[in-house]
Amino acid sequence: MKQPQHIIQFLLNDNLIEIDFSKSVEYKPTTTVLNYLRSLPGHKGVKEGCAEGDCGACTVVLAEYNQNGSFTYKAVTSCLLFLPMIHGKQLITVEGLAEKNGDQWELHPVQKEIIQSFGSQCGYCTPGIVMSLFALYKNHDNPSKTIINDALTGNLCRCTGYRPIIEAAEKACANIKSHQLTVKEKKAENIFKALGSLEKSIAIESQGQKYFRPATLHNALSLIKQYPKAHIVTGGSDIAIKQTKKQEFLEEIIDISGLRELKGHSEDQANIYLGAGLSMEEVKTIVDNKIPELHHILSYFGSLQIRNIATIGGNLGTASPISDTLPVLIARKAKVILKSGDKERTQSIDSFIKGYRKTNINPDELIYRIVIPKTMKGVIFKSYKLSKRKELDISSVSGAFRLQLDNEKKITDIALVFGGMAEMPKKAVQTEMFLMKKKFERETIETAMKILYDEFMPITDARASDVGRRLMARNLLMKFYNDV
Amino acid sequence: MNKQQLHDSALQHVTGEAVYVNDIDSHARLLTGHVVFSPFAHANIISYDLGRAKKTKGVHAILCYHDIPGENQVGAVVKDEVCLAEKEVTFIGQALFLIAAESKEIALKAEQLIEVDYEPLEAVLNIEDAMEKNQLLATPRIMECGDFQKAFNDSAFHLEGELKTGAQEHWYLETQSCLSIPGEGNEMVIYSSTQHPSEVQSIVSGVLGRKKNEIEVVVKRIGGAFGGKESQPNQVAAWTALLASATGLPVKISLLRDEDQIITGKRHPFLSFYKVGFNQAGMINALKVELNGDAGSSTDLSNAILERSMFHIDNAYFIPNLHLTGKMWKTNHPSNTAFRGFGAPQAMAVIEAIIDRISRKLSIDPAEIRRRNFYGMDDRNITYYGEKIENNRLFSIFEKLITTSGYYNKREEINKFNTNHEFFKKGMALTPVKFGISFTTSFLNQAGALVNIYKDGSVLITHGGVEMGQGLHTKIVTIAASELGIDMDKIRVAATSTSKVPNTSATAASSGSDLNGMAVKNAVDKLKSRLTEIFLQEINKNHPQKPSFEGSVLFQDNYVVDQMHRERKKSFKELISLAYLNQISLSATGFYKTPGIFFDKQKGKGKPFFYYAYGMAVSEVLLDVLTGHHQVLRTDILHDVGNSLHKSIDIGQIEGGFIQGVGWCTIEEIKYDRNGKMLTHSPDTYKIPTINDLPLDFRVNLLKDAPNPNNIKKSKAVGEPPFMLSFSVWLAIKDAISAIADHTTEPEFSLPATQEVILRSIEKLKEQI
Repeated sequence: MKQPQHIIQFLLNDNLIEIDFSKSVEYKPTTTVLNYLRSLPGHKGVKEGCAEGDCGACTVVLAEYNQNGSFTYKAVTSCLLFLPMIHGKQLITVEGLAEKNGDQWELHPVQKEIIQSFGSQCGYCTPGIVMSLFALYKNHDNPSKTIINDALTGNLCRCTGYRPIIEAAEKACANIKSHQLTVKEKKAENIFKALGSLEKSIAIESQGQKYFRPATLHNALSLIKQYPKAHIVTGGSDIAIKQTKKQEFLEEIIDISGLRELKGHSEDQANIYLGAGLSMEEVKTIVDNKIPELHHILSYFGSLQIRNIATIGGNLGTASPISDTLPVLIARKAKVILKSGDKERTQSIDSFIKGYRKTNINPDELIYRIVIPKTMKGVIFKSYKLSKRKELDISSVSGAFRLQLDNEKKITDIALVFGGMAEMPKKAVQTEMFLMKKKFERETIETAMKILYDEFMPITDARASDVGRRLMARNLLMKFYNDV
Repeated sequence: MNKQQLHDSALQHVTGEAVYVNDIDSHARLLTGHVVFSPFAHANIISYDLGRAKKTKGVHAILCYHDIPGENQVGAVVKDEVCLAEKEVTFIGQALFLIAAESKEIALKAEQLIEVDYEPLEAVLNIEDAMEKNQLLATPRIMECGDFQKAFNDSAFHLEGELKTGAQEHWYLETQSCLSIPGEGNEMVIYSSTQHPSEVQSIVSGVLGRKKNEIEVVVKRIGGAFGGKESQPNQVAAWTALLASATGLPVKISLLRDEDQIITGKRHPFLSFYKVGFNQAGMINALKVELNGDAGSSTDLSNAILERSMFHIDNAYFIPNLHLTGKMWKTNHPSNTAFRGFGAPQAMAVIEAIIDRISRKLSIDPAEIRRRNFYGMDDRNITYYGEKIENNRLFSIFEKLITTSGYYNKREEINKFNTNHEFFKKGMALTPVKFGISFTTSFLNQAGALVNIYKDGSVLITHGGVEMGQGLHTKIVTIAASELGIDMDKIRVAATSTSKVPNTSATAASSGSDLNGMAVKNAVDKLKSRLTEIFLQEINKNHPQKPSFEGSVLFQDNYVVDQMHRERKKSFKELISLAYLNQISLSATGFYKTPGIFFDKQKGKGKPFFYYAYGMAVSEVLLDVLTGHHQVLRTDILHDVGNSLHKSIDIGQIEGGFIQGVGWCTIEEIKYDRNGKMLTHSPDTYKIPTINDLPLDFRVNLLKDAPNPNNIKKSKAVGEPPFMLSFSVWLAIKDAISAIADHTTEPEFSLPATQEVILRSIEKLKEQI
């Protein structure tokens, strides 16, 4: 029997939990999973290190039970998740990995190896690292160094210098694992089976907040019409920070992170179609060698924990001037399909982005799909990201370039799109104009670099200075020339 | 005994059982403490009104400086740091009011209702402005030897310049946290995330106006510190104690990350000026340096930090004629504070930059210039402050590392690579570290311990040191187990507490295991002597003719045994039982003070250090000339820890310290707006190394067969020295930039060498050629 809409259900490790927001004084719908866990006795392993998803100390693993009887595991930062977002899932914490029989511990291999490799010093980041390793262990047999580093990029450790943690990861994940369910998984499976389908709409009104988690797109669109001022949560990595960092009170929330209709993807001869609700990690996997420059830029996007939460639609919706993906999509001439209750319209990304954090989406619309043209023969695409720290940083400047040459190496089509250089991602129109029809050779590029240097008037901020940004943008043109 | 003891908290770390201050299972009526701080770098407080805020439901107390029962003071050394601002605020982040509420949300709501009227004043936000306004923190310090001016005039070559080094945020994963629980009468128990429980005790007793014997400070473990919890926890402890005292309820403050980054001090930024004279072989003959540090708004530990800076301007090099001036300047930033290396990195960066320039000027390999300038084995071995360099390990480390890193072959390969590549350049550098071990304030070099043996033969140790991840407790267990000859699992180290071991020094200056290890040994020795006596009494009952003697009694393998008559033995457990029945005390205190060290501040001469720790690193980087990004390809480190107390823990300190140093040298940058507001107050904008920032090939080795006489188990301290090995990365990047102009032109360079700094340096260099 389906529970009322103000109750959520999930597994906390092996235990079924129900939270009835209509009765709870302690928890409101925007209580983060981190704060929820830390309010419980015996669940203080999870730590708050930054409350913005940048340190990984709060990493937990979300498991989803699939129809085919398997589980999918994702490491996520619990500081950016609101409680209703884990409805129907299994929340695995550091306390759920080992068994304690009397005084004897039966540890998970990742825990054992962290101990043996001296991978913990002060120990504060360790529970988060253990959880990232647990997800790695579940998802990969004998992972490469790149995969290990990627799994741990989102976990800051200030003591060890990471080397012993890599050693622990290598040792713990070295073996090929059986695909049979473990004892713990069987336990979870039994609970999920007994519960039946947990798909339902959630609607909570509690402590001055309205929180909706519609089960269908139709439902979502009518809610959006009804509550035009509501915050739309697609993944939470942006909205949650308003609460955790800026102490904003989020009055109305429409959480579309559970909408299946936004998670699909398909392709035809000309295009790849991405559901707006796909996570950045899912997009990264889907586009892999089909849109290589998007795949490249996504490998430097946040951390695995963030990419597991953040969605492509949410990312476009913020229209950030320092977006990594927008320049790529503009250079690709990608389109976005917007949907409202009664109609659907298609916009080029270029015209969709209107200004500083502004799009031309209507209040009753949602981003539905992103349409990315596939690579036509002879067209070259590249993307670049420059930042103070190469990984897990926001770009100072990002660039995405499109180029087509004729038989005489003359430029017949070019797009130079930059992030971080203006109030929104922008094309270097003057430089493009200069380059059109010219021969693609070093001398031309060097002249174009001078034009490009003067084309933008970027700002100075915490990440880079105006002059620095202009140098970076200018140099990327030469970098592109060398890479072509 | 050969098996390595695992980190004594590792099991708790990986299972999430480990308890930090913020995890202590709270009392039902626990209140959240919140601090309201100044948004102005410098302003007069004209008026304020707490009335409306105090009426907020769920708020139990709002305090201002009037409400402090004791003295309004949290200064660590000099009493120039108020707990709560009175008439003036002197930095952004300075505390004005304290709120105790039923939740952080409520406290924030109340904060919104506080109205403060400020009169903004001119703020001094950098060293240059402080110099212009002559805002010295204290009288400048001078150290010198020889005759700089004459030697400089006599030198064939001269260089001069300046170097800026940046601030660094500690970014311990656990933010500043404290829980104060009022007890009966005047009692208060403080759970503080501090490196210095005795100072927290002292500061809390000061603000509350209570005796120290009424305040107990307990530290189980702390989630990283790096110097950032030497003095900074004082204020947080004082705030919670004041609120706990005012409400009669337990109060906890665990700063939010942004609060922590805004409120607390950082590594001191330095601006240094230098002149150097040298000969054609690159030997330094004369050096004049002026070190200028940004102390922030109050003294904190700045004087001691400046002093250590001044002791390390030489790093590993003999400087026959030196004139060194040290100045700390007052600015309107939070008071800058201790950070791994304690001023030494800022000074060593100067001499390493100088050596690097000498090498470019003379076109001699920089590693060779370094070797030529090393302190000598038999001569050229007295420092400018009069301490003789004994057991010099520089040459043996250098020779080994040059070989194992393949330095000269690699140099050739790099030159070849650079000739063939326009947009990628490789660079390499070898840099040494020689770091003086001891608190430079000599009397701080003392430690205490309490060792209890229980009737079942299990041992509980309490000592003055704090476990902050460095593995101190694990090392202590190792020391005690080997001294008592019993298994390590029979020994436990208890939480550090001012009630168990009083009047301790901070766990700082890399001294934790040296000082506390010796103190524990001292206590163990006392117990062993008592146990030996009862052992002999018992054993000799049966051998009145040929009695066993004290000198032949051994504690090993869980037995006490006469090594001359191996059959005469008693298990440790049995002997403990016997001792108890014979009314012998099984509890002893231990004490240690470092012998033979002193320093005359007036004359600038003495023997401030018990010994020196040495290490060297070779790093190779690949630089992308167009983007300014770099990758460390390989780092080889050879470091001297004497006879290692614990290899894995020592290597962990070396790797961790090195990477933290690489962060300071390359990506960690603190920026302010023109009003002094920090722009980089969260990990969104302040970047510490991630797993991707370690060298692709990272080889760390301990120097073998190099026992350190007189220290605990012939070991050496390891906490800070490796931090400075990161200069190998810093200067390898410079070397790669320099390759663009074929090493003929000196590139502009500073610290941190961020991607943008690198890019601009390249741009400038290209303009020059």
